[in-house]
Amino acid sequence: MKVPPGVSASDFAEAIKQFEEAVGKEWVFTSDEDVAMYRDAYSPFMGEPEERVASAAVAPDGMEQVQKVVRIANRYKIPIYPVSTGKNLGYGGSAPVLSGSVVLDLKRMNRILEVNEANAYALVEPGVSYFDLYRYIQEKGLKLWVDVPDPGWGSPIGNALDRGGGYLMPQYRNHFDSHCGMEVVLANGEVLRTGMGALPGAQTWQQYKSGFGPWIDGMFSQSNFGVVTKMGFWLMPEPDAYLSGTVVVPRHDDLIPLVRILTYLEDTRVTNGMPDLGSPLLGIPMLSDFATRFESGGTPFERPLDPELSDLIAKGGGLATSALDGYAQRKGLGYWSCKLSFYGASKANAANWEFAREKFSEIPGVRFEEGENYKLPLTPEQREKVHKPQFGIPSLAMFSIGARSAMNPEPASGHMWFSPIIPRTGEAIFEANRVFAQAAKEFGLPFLSFNLPSTYWERAFIFIFAFPVTRDVEFNKRNRAAFNKLIQVAAEHGWGEYRTAPAFQDAIMNTYSYNNHALLHFHETVKDAIDPNGILSAGRYGIWPKHVREAKS
Amino acid sequence: MASRREFLQIGVAALALPISARAGLSPANSAAAGESAQTPLYKVIFDERFATSRAFAGEVKRLGASVYGIKGDITDLWFNDLDARWRKEPVAIAGLTEHGALFCLERLAWDHGMRVVYRADHTYRADGYMEHELSGSEVMLREAVNLSSSGADWSSRVASLLTRCPAVRAQASKLTVVTPAAKQAGDPEHLVSWVIAPVGAARKFSRS
Repeated sequence: MKVPPGVSASDFAEAIKQFEEAVGKEWVFTSDEDVAMYRDAYSPFMGEPEERVASAAVAPDGMEQVQKVVRIANRYKIPIYPVSTGKNLGYGGSAPVLSGSVVLDLKRMNRILEVNEANAYALVEPGVSYFDLYRYIQEKGLKLWVDVPDPGWGSPIGNALDRGGGYLMPQYRNHFDSHCGMEVVLANGEVLRTGMGALPGAQTWQQYKSGFGPWIDGMFSQSNFGVVTKMGFWLMPEPDAYLSGTVVVPRHDDLIPLVRILTYLEDTRVTNGMPDLGSPLLGIPMLSDFATRFESGGTPFERPLDPELSDLIAKGGGLATSALDGYAQRKGLGYWSCKLSFYGASKANAANWEFAREKFSEIPGVRFEEGENYKLPLTPEQREKVHKPQFGIPSLAMFSIGARSAMNPEPASGHMWFSPIIPRTGEAIFEANRVFAQAAKEFGLPFLSFNLPSTYWERAFIFIFAFPVTRDVEFNKRNRAAFNKLIQVAAEHGWGEYRTAPAFQDAIMNTYSYNNHALLHFHETVKDAIDPNGILSAGRYGIWPKHVREAKS
Repeated sequence: MASRREFLQIGVAALALPISARAGLSPANSAAAGESAQTPLYKVIFDERFATSRAFAGEVKRLGASVYGIKGDITDLWFNDLDARWRKEPVAIAGLTEHGALFCLERLAWDHGMRVVYRADHTYRADGYMEHELSGSEVMLREAVNLSSSGADWSSRVASLLTRCPAVRAQASKLTVVTPAAKQAGDPEHLVSWVIAPVGAARKFSRS
């Protein structure tokens, strides 16, 4: 059995014994086989001694048992690493940031404590998965939708605390923003409730977010300041109908007004679903085209181009040329497309789509394609055709993406995401592509010729690049080095990542360095004050306890 | 052209005694799998998109086991069937699928006290041969040697093998077999056959 760093074997043995007394012997895992379940399936250190692995795992069944575990960990200075369902693959899974930590597995805490249909909220424990919540709602016949990520086997609490996102209306799509109230066990074992939950007998814990005084909920996301044991979420009432329509524009430079108008329409809630950008000319599929791609044996990672087009791109030295615009026009292909979605009353959706068409009509040559128009709930036939998370239905379909490509040489081995936030303008998309294409060339990365950003968030874009993880140690080393260089390149242009795998959390936190790392110093001050022994998730998101910082320096 | 050496390669014995150290590699000894108690299979999963997997399912049905077809995605299988079944009690499943389906099912099974007890990666090679990398109990691997005489009909042999998986979990060994195999139109380069079964001492997180 591995022993946590800085802990004697005898102290660890005593702590394990006390963990067993606290949660029951059968819920403390120390065998190699059980502990191996907590390995990160997508670790970029696969096959290397640097892979972060747990020493043991403890699975409490409730908040009171979490308190006991935390107090024992404090007594013996055992680093512990809470996970909910441990399914955030690509961001570390259930493996700790600090190797040798004891995983605090919250999967047994899987109670759905309340779902309120009239006020559209839920209160859940960390071990509840999106599938669990969806099933509960379906079985009770409640007219509520859960905003689910893709894939949907993770935990609403875990995903929100990692600041993940989904596909429904903007106020639900950002999963941390859609939470309302949490219960947290602190490192000393004390339990607190945030927002209205701090008021004994509060009747609005899941209805009013901020309560009274400083709103501290954000401090428990992407951090290591406490163990969240309950969390409320606002759910989306099932809309009357869903409508989609696609805007297609003919020229390269049309991306700039396309994004400007799209942003206006989103910010005024004329369109309220996740927009879906693509390029018919360059073969960049919209999300809604993914299923068709798979059915035809392809993947979104492959973009077979017509040889004439490839030749034009090569000769023209880029994508912004009149020759490419002319090619697109001759072939009847749009240069860019954007699918808009509307959730709401059927008549309102039609009116909003009409207004959107009016606004986009200022772009010369724009054309519009009618999309789906569904009265909700979906029929079983409709359900088979749609991208399920856009209708609040959890799915594991993305794991059936198995085909090999240059971008995905070993589909079985996983990936890691490089995901910088860039401004929400067409100009920024062009600039980010220029910068990242140059960097990719320099670092020998197989990036595609052009990428479009994801539109999960309001107000900003995220570029999401998948770095494959393979069984080839040297390949992984090169990719990690390139990833670290890209972090620097992005930061030099004022772009920072929104989330990352443990392997890169220090590097990214280091780029948020305004005023001599004042933000990180604040995090460390808080950490030292509320977790002086540094037992909780040491190193998570670049926040290390004092004793580790001192040892490093 | 595959050499004799490639044709039947004995791989690394991961945890157990090397298989080659025993005299059990000939088909004559393969009755061993049939002699011990077999793992009852609740469902055998196949991928409707692939001819080889469909042929596998046909043989499984002929052998009397229940089959379930997927098209890559296991969501419906799990959400509408396995989740409820496994909450009642862990029961074994097997399949011939792409890796993604096994990846998901394995992780979902872990929380119900189950493990992958047998796995074989079947990879088509450019030279008209197929490489079968197997990992499982020695009894299973002895049986798997029959793949070497299966030719293009390897999926039927896999069906027979999986439906005769021993009920007792043994230490895992590894074996690589290379066989002639013509790739069926539409088949992926790589398929996986597997058995997921309850393991007595494994943790169970399910709350019914």
